[in-house]
Amino acid sequence: MSAPPVLVAESLVKRYPVFRGFRDLILHPFGRRTVTALDGLDLEVGRGRVFCLLGPNGAGKTTLIKVLATLVLPDGGRASVAGHDVALEPGPAKNAVGYAVSDERSFYWRLTGRQNLEFFGALYGLGGPARDRRIGELLRLAGLEEAADLRFNSYSTGMRQMLAFARALLADAAILLVDEPTRSLDPQAADRVRAFLRGELAGRQGKTILWATHDLGEAADCADDIAVISRGRIRLRGPAASLAAGGRASLRQAYEKAVGESEEKP
Amino acid sequence: MSASGRKSVSGAAVMAAFLRRDLREALTYKFSFISSLTGILLSSATFYFVAKLVPQGTPSLGPFGGDYFSFAVVGVAFAGLLGMFQEGLAAVVRSAQLSGTLEALLVTPVPVPVILFGSSLYSLLFQVVRTALHLGVALALFGLALGRINAAGVLAVGVLTVLCFLSVGVLSASFILVYKTGNPFSWIMGTVSGLLGGVVFPIALLPPWIRWISSLLPVTYALDGMRKSLLASASFAEVLPDVAALAAFDAILLPASLVAFRLAVRKAKKDGTLAHY
Repeated sequence: MSAPPVLVAESLVKRYPVFRGFRDLILHPFGRRTVTALDGLDLEVGRGRVFCLLGPNGAGKTTLIKVLATLVLPDGGRASVAGHDVALEPGPAKNAVGYAVSDERSFYWRLTGRQNLEFFGALYGLGGPARDRRIGELLRLAGLEEAADLRFNSYSTGMRQMLAFARALLADAAILLVDEPTRSLDPQAADRVRAFLRGELAGRQGKTILWATHDLGEAADCADDIAVISRGRIRLRGPAASLAAGGRASLRQAYEKAVGESEEKP
Repeated sequence: MSASGRKSVSGAAVMAAFLRRDLREALTYKFSFISSLTGILLSSATFYFVAKLVPQGTPSLGPFGGDYFSFAVVGVAFAGLLGMFQEGLAAVVRSAQLSGTLEALLVTPVPVPVILFGSSLYSLLFQVVRTALHLGVALALFGLALGRINAAGVLAVGVLTVLCFLSVGVLSASFILVYKTGNPFSWIMGTVSGLLGGVVFPIALLPPWIRWISSLLPVTYALDGMRKSLLASASFAEVLPDVAALAAFDAILLPASLVAFRLAVRKAKKDGTLAHY
């Protein structure tokens, strides 16, 4: 990898407290039980790369993305975004990334797509004609020009996902974090999302994308680099061209081997 | 400023954006404003008729001008306003947790306290307007008996009260960020204040063994000072004990709430539950 890394995780550790019932709290008032989401994870993503994170449910993909988005504080190690430590400099770190929060509940349903973008645009420091130009440009890129003045609650799942990308791009950050962007989408909508991320954002605009997914085919088709994460650690990583050189079947084989080994020897 | 027109986030622009967002949402609910106005009218009418049961010059009403209707309307109008200040912040945090918008707000470069105040600004301003309308309706239609208004007293009591109840609001929001529901501040300051704070009856009517609890509640001093300043033509010296008590509450609650909020955000980020509900 020649380009300098813009996303870095070093020995990153995150443990979540486990919910305890009243009985447990009474019997062990000072006890603490945790579940490990990240277990000394190391990762580097180079500028302008599309980096797909593959892994089973609970592997730590979403936690890693949330740490990089400053929503979760790590318990150990360090993570940085464009050189800014996410724990020590959360402000500059936030400015450096766009996190595409895919949850459709993260929008105001009674406002239009444009009104949602106007509101979030103001929170990113956009105002006046520059904001209107940027929003118009993003709506066009996301294919939502015609639906811009319809209420969000009338949007299809695919349109909602595209609006989430438009929102993440408001600040024109060079790094984009996306967590399972094609989940719940029909095949055509999923293809549009992949083409938008890979072709428009990475290909034409040169953005760095950290892309968590369960879909091996998606990773094989879209990624420059692939890492397999399991039990909070990177178990396998390499250029997509080499990991998926033998097609999706060879990537599947490598994935299953890496995950299987992590389960045998955690 | 970048090519995209992005510049540093201005607090005023952010507040304006929150206000515009909430106004736009409110306008999609066509009947809420009308029902709110109807509520004001009905509340005033209720106390107008209840007041006919209470003779003018009842001794316990003496320090507040002697008219029960005016006493009750000022109490109910300001208690509603204070309730919004103390619960509005927690309510917006809870609402954003439940609706799912909190995470999207928190990844923006806007500091968390600004998000919190911005999110509640519309509700707070709306409640200020509602309180003014409440008093206006009572004055125009039901003969609210204002005295010679002590503007300095109203201002001092008002500002200190707002700071005090906003601090309680920040404490409530901190609790909700970490524990999500079961806010004890809301219970203490809302339910208990309603009974013991002198909202619809003077605390002089309470038995002495329970009256001391009233002296621990900021709402007691807020309503006492406001009524004396609005209804009883009291001088600033006469409301000074209320002003001093509110200043003491502020001196404790304001820094405590800021520390609590900072710790709550940190704990929620540590536990990974910032946007959980």
